[in-house]
Amino acid sequence: MRRILFIILAAVAAWLLPYGLGGYAIHVADVAIIFAILAVGLGLTMGVAGQINLAQVAFFGVGAYTVAILTTRAGLGFWTAALLALVTAVVAGLLAGIPALRMQSHYLGIVTLGLALAFTNWVTNAHVAGRAEGISDLPVPPMFGVDLSSGYLFYYVELVVFAVALAFALLVVRSPLGRRLRAMRDDDLAAGALGAEIPLLRMTAFVLSGLYGGLAGILYAGLIRFVAPESFNIANMFLLLAMVIIGGRSSILGCVVGAVALSLVREALLDASGYAQLGYGLVVVLVVVFAPKGLAGLPGQLRSLLRRRGGGSRAQLGPFQPYEAAARAGGADVLEIRGVTMRFKGLVALDEVSLTVPEGQIRGIVGPNGSGKTTLFNVISGFYTPGQGAVLLRGREVTGMAPYRLAQRRVARTFQNLRLFEDLSVRENLLLGLDRTRTWWIWRYPSVPWKVLGYERALRRRAGALIERFGLAEVADAEPRSLPYGIQRRIELARAMAMAPDLLLLDEPAAGLNGEEVRQLAEIVRSIRDAGVTVIIIEHNMGLVMSLCDQVTVLSSGKVIADGPPAEVAVHPDVVAAYLGDSMAAPTEESAEAAVEEATR
Amino acid sequence: MQVLLQTLIGGVTFGAVYALVAMGFSIVYRTMGLVNFAHGSVVMIGAYAASTFYLATRLPFAVAIVVAIAVTALIGLVIERFLRPLENKDFTLMLIGTIGFGAVLEAGAVLVWGATGHAVPSPVATGPIDVAGIRIPTYSLLVIAVAAAATGLLALFLQRTKRGAAMQAVAMDHQAATACGIHVGRSNAMAFAIGAGLAALAGSLIGPMLYVNPTMGGTLGIKGFAAAMLGGFGSMPGAIVGGLAFGLLDAFAAGNFQEYSELVTFLVFAVIVMIRPTGIFGEATVNRA
Repeated sequence: MRRILFIILAAVAAWLLPYGLGGYAIHVADVAIIFAILAVGLGLTMGVAGQINLAQVAFFGVGAYTVAILTTRAGLGFWTAALLALVTAVVAGLLAGIPALRMQSHYLGIVTLGLALAFTNWVTNAHVAGRAEGISDLPVPPMFGVDLSSGYLFYYVELVVFAVALAFALLVVRSPLGRRLRAMRDDDLAAGALGAEIPLLRMTAFVLSGLYGGLAGILYAGLIRFVAPESFNIANMFLLLAMVIIGGRSSILGCVVGAVALSLVREALLDASGYAQLGYGLVVVLVVVFAPKGLAGLPGQLRSLLRRRGGGSRAQLGPFQPYEAAARAGGADVLEIRGVTMRFKGLVALDEVSLTVPEGQIRGIVGPNGSGKTTLFNVISGFYTPGQGAVLLRGREVTGMAPYRLAQRRVARTFQNLRLFEDLSVRENLLLGLDRTRTWWIWRYPSVPWKVLGYERALRRRAGALIERFGLAEVADAEPRSLPYGIQRRIELARAMAMAPDLLLLDEPAAGLNGEEVRQLAEIVRSIRDAGVTVIIIEHNMGLVMSLCDQVTVLSSGKVIADGPPAEVAVHPDVVAAYLGDSMAAPTEESAEAAVEEATR
Repeated sequence: MQVLLQTLIGGVTFGAVYALVAMGFSIVYRTMGLVNFAHGSVVMIGAYAASTFYLATRLPFAVAIVVAIAVTALIGLVIERFLRPLENKDFTLMLIGTIGFGAVLEAGAVLVWGATGHAVPSPVATGPIDVAGIRIPTYSLLVIAVAAAATGLLALFLQRTKRGAAMQAVAMDHQAATACGIHVGRSNAMAFAIGAGLAALAGSLIGPMLYVNPTMGGTLGIKGFAAAMLGGFGSMPGAIVGGLAFGLLDAFAAGNFQEYSELVTFLVFAVIVMIRPTGIFGEATVNRA
């Protein structure tokens, strides 16, 4: 209710603003709105999706220049040109996004910066773009007899566009797509294991970037009616970056606040622009060091300072509510591994490993450290492509398939060192697991946004049920990093189960758990199996393996050395040797002496 | 053929400077995992410091270079001190923080030296040497010789001295290095100072070849950075090879596409990096699940 009131107040204030502004002030406001749209776009790509995109100002330029060239050179009408400009900017975003498929972070930053430089180089030299002088005398956008050459009237056009753009950005951030983008930013491997199509998501981020850049460029062309290379240079890219960082890069509203604030400051300091530049730089450095989440993150930072003083209570896990047992279908093999060999340069991590896991089994995989257990999981879940051999899932070959494809085929896993998304709440972590839509589903965002909201509500209901089942009610809205280790393990298990898997891979789920927690874990895993899920579990806690597993496979130096019921495997001589060391093979004093003698002879 | 060789010489000269810039990037990157986007601006400050001192005092160019190195090393120490809380933590934040520092340095240069910049006369008075019809500017030879000498000295320092070895150790594993009693903070500060010193050397050398102005750092920094990437980030031989390769790419683009050279250079660079993101001497980063 308060939120609706706030939106109405903000809208009314924005609507009435021009009445209190002079001719120049309204121009400043118009420019500020354009920067706000740009900042929202950069916030989406960089803050939410984590793609270091330093070409945003070039997309802005592509939008503005396309309008300028099409209206003055090709004689198209303003709005036709605008539509084509939007398409061009999105295509530019797609092209600039291709490098993101191969590289990330600073690599991506430098490549996108290079592409931005390439763009300015082109417009300063190409005849069609008016070279260094730019293109002037763009037509005034016609609008049913309304004279848009007036800054006041153009303000309202901008306001409407901005409101729609902002609403769309907020919809993206607060729905499945935004959650996936944030998950990809925090940990793209784990996001892939949850079924997020990483390449498509990265391209989506760049499409959004191009879309917002193009939109801002069109408005710029309509407002200023003059384009020149220096409006789209690296200095302006830095200004835009400063807006997003100071405002708070992962908060869309923060980006808007940063953009508006810095636009106004820039205008106020126009006479001292050298010092202003110095000031932006210093503020960016200070924000990065002391308030990494920008203005938007300050309330949270203050709250956590206060809370630290107050001290909190220790979070508790609730009891687990078992799944309903499904009828056990027997027989069919869920997973078959045929002669898989995995090499890392000289090291053979897996050597001709073969095994089959029938439906409804709890299979234990044990072996000394470095025996290849986790490598095997990485092969099954698609992180590694084996050099030889095949992996079959329910009889269909899936060797070398990307992790997200395997996740879509209902293979879920947990990680040895926990890979929860630290900046997302527990609930959001589970929502990521629950959301089984494919990326192309996002066509609904522009066409039927209300369905997105409906889907999101349904997801949240299911997340509530899952939270109850795993006894996480008390911690549902906390950030994982603030929680005890045992609870984090439980969350990761719940997130994997959210995917409604057919095959569940647990990598050392009992590591770091206390006795009571291990007992609960065994209970949960049995219930999961009874619900019809096949479970493979890597574990060092032999007590747990013996009591829980139906069958145990022992790996040593990348080879399967034993396979069978736990009681049989435990007394297998090779297994005992692998764990305790073979005293016959180890060098003793006698054998060493013999070797020395042989060498001296 | 002659045109080709002439382009080659120009490319190698600029390549030597890019290699110096790239080495500065790399030494900071491998010791502390910090991608210093302010590096280009440090190069620019170095160019200004050296040229101003040279023009004002009429002392030999070599003295001016030493002064410039001292000035930028100091700046490097300040940057390192500021960003120390972020080291080995959040990559994106560090990256943006150094971009902020770059803006500060650029704005500072505008305030101190003005926005227009100045030309620097070549410190070598003799005319170009003529070898089989190809004109080799003597200053080019000087640049290449100085760059080679600096590379040699750096290699000696890293491989033969205790401090250099300590720096290598920090590069490989900063926690293990701490456990061995190496003062990681001091080692990082030194790496940063050396990196900034290399930047100043590059800046002073390129001053007489270009027009010294406040925005030169942007382009030079990006080109040096690109050179480091081409060779393989964090690898010293990679920085040298990458620098030379990028200088040649630049020279050939300038020869064949004139005013569009920058466009062509960065498009080609983007394609090369997409084909081989780890560069020639590859930074091997394995993401462990």
